[in-house]
Amino acid sequence: MKTVFALCQRNLKDFVRNKPRLILSIIFPFFFIYVFSSIFQNEYIENPISLMLAGIAIATVFDVTLRISSSTIDDMSSGFMKEVLVSPVSRLSIAGGQFLSGAVIGTMNGMIILLGGVLLGFRVTSPLTVLYIIAAMVFVGFVFAGFGLFMATTTKSTQTFQVVSMAITMPMTFLSGAYIPVGDLPNVLQIITRFNPLTYAVAMFRSVSLEWGGLPLEQQIHLGVSIEIGNFVVTPMISALILLGFGALFLLLSTLAFMRTDFSKMSRSAGDAVDWG
Amino acid sequence: MNPIIEVQNFTKRYGKFTAVDDISFQVEEGSIFAFLGPNGAGKSTTINTLCTIFEKTEGTLRIDGKDVSTQKNEVRKSIGVVFQDSTLDKKMTVEENLRMHCVFYRVPKREVEERIAFVLELVELSEWRRKRVSALSGGMKRRVEIARGLIHFPKVLFLDEPTTGLDPQTRAHIWEYIVKLQKEKNITMFLTTHYMDEAEICNQVAIMDGGKIVANDRPFELKKQYTKDRAYITTERPEELERLLRAHNLEFVQKPKYYRVDVDSVPGLLQVLGDQKDVITDLEVKKGTLNDVFLEITGKEIREGGES
Repeated sequence: MKTVFALCQRNLKDFVRNKPRLILSIIFPFFFIYVFSSIFQNEYIENPISLMLAGIAIATVFDVTLRISSSTIDDMSSGFMKEVLVSPVSRLSIAGGQFLSGAVIGTMNGMIILLGGVLLGFRVTSPLTVLYIIAAMVFVGFVFAGFGLFMATTTKSTQTFQVVSMAITMPMTFLSGAYIPVGDLPNVLQIITRFNPLTYAVAMFRSVSLEWGGLPLEQQIHLGVSIEIGNFVVTPMISALILLGFGALFLLLSTLAFMRTDFSKMSRSAGDAVDWG
Repeated sequence: MNPIIEVQNFTKRYGKFTAVDDISFQVEEGSIFAFLGPNGAGKSTTINTLCTIFEKTEGTLRIDGKDVSTQKNEVRKSIGVVFQDSTLDKKMTVEENLRMHCVFYRVPKREVEERIAFVLELVELSEWRRKRVSALSGGMKRRVEIARGLIHFPKVLFLDEPTTGLDPQTRAHIWEYIVKLQKEKNITMFLTTHYMDEAEICNQVAIMDGGKIVANDRPFELKKQYTKDRAYITTERPEELERLLRAHNLEFVQKPKYYRVDVDSVPGLLQVLGDQKDVITDLEVKKGTLNDVFLEITGKEIREGGES
């Protein structure tokens, strides 16, 4: 357990020390809010800024969590993983450290967005909501931390990972309703959003942070926090269950993959991956 | 002799390729043991298997009585490793690297401060404690790795090419630390090197070639067994010298300025020359080196300073 916290602390330090990255990860979401907020104006929505903020905050949690949990790949290629492998530390605690780091740092970043959002008019009525928001962010963080580590352990090389990561996270982010309302997308893309776990994270988080849980189902569907699939309605609660399933699956898969990976065959470049010496 | 490392009939194959072919050896506790050999001889494979990174194909490997295949964690606790390539966490400072290592190896919290100070003092990097690793030079990084490999007080320290790519001064320093640790802390040092002069310092040298150990002894014994001392004689009266050497059945090679004589024993030569001291103007004797041993056994020069 000590190792898990030590690794988390290390990733946190690294995250704070890399100033340009830190500043960009805070500025970018606000830039998006500015660009996209006009799209969200419709008859049902009084405050498009809050809706945007909630969506972008959780998309940021997703993005940062994924990046942190998959930073394992940098450690593998920099050689640091070799130091870990000859030490008596269990791989399980290394994986645990990556998950916790991802969830914690993702949540911190998401909270910064919402705090900035207060200046733009984001409000909650109950202090309890703040707790719910944090809990929801940590939850979403863990859900996608497994996904991040899974991508990192299965791709194994830094270059491949960057391509794969872009190809997966970009469409996931834009087809989740966080930046562009799902209803404004072409039909084919709307169908794809139903298969995107981030869609459910966005819906659930909006329902929690904007305190829309008590609204009638009809209105929830119009606001996009409940999702109709044929005759079935995915309420925020069901969204949370879907996420739980997805998260549990990938936490398990990535842990197994990470424990089985033969890191001795990995190296800086593919060329000297196998060392006969 | 109390062996801390015991290897019996160790074989490692990659598919059809045999990297290490049925080797056996022992390393005495508290000694400096060196693996010498050209690239691809199987040195790194052996060291990586002993460090629990690779899985053996056949054989028994034990460190401090623990089996490296079945008691991995026990073995890991009792060894420190300095790899050929840096395995430091470049994003963190020197101190943070050492602290993380202490967490991994469960060094008691109250001892951490003291041990960090001790190892940094040893490798003379106390002032660099709070610097980011990425800001350090290659030699300093290697010293940090050595410090880190020692902080959990291992019984055996593995060093894979610890001085490759470093300037002569840093190399000398690193050897100072190694010898000091062996003497003062009785830590067993297991290393691989390309540098023959470094191997001379070791208590025991095993020469590997083509996956086999072709010789394994003290440097002094190896030289005695595989090399001859070489005498260079200058003279003003060549005919008399030649006659003298022939009379004692000593083979010689005539060079423009001197005669070269390979001898089994220097005292023997001195006795021969003692009779006719005035024949020679100058005499120089060169002892055989490990390089000669290597050349004699494997028939090839070891490539100096390269990566394996």
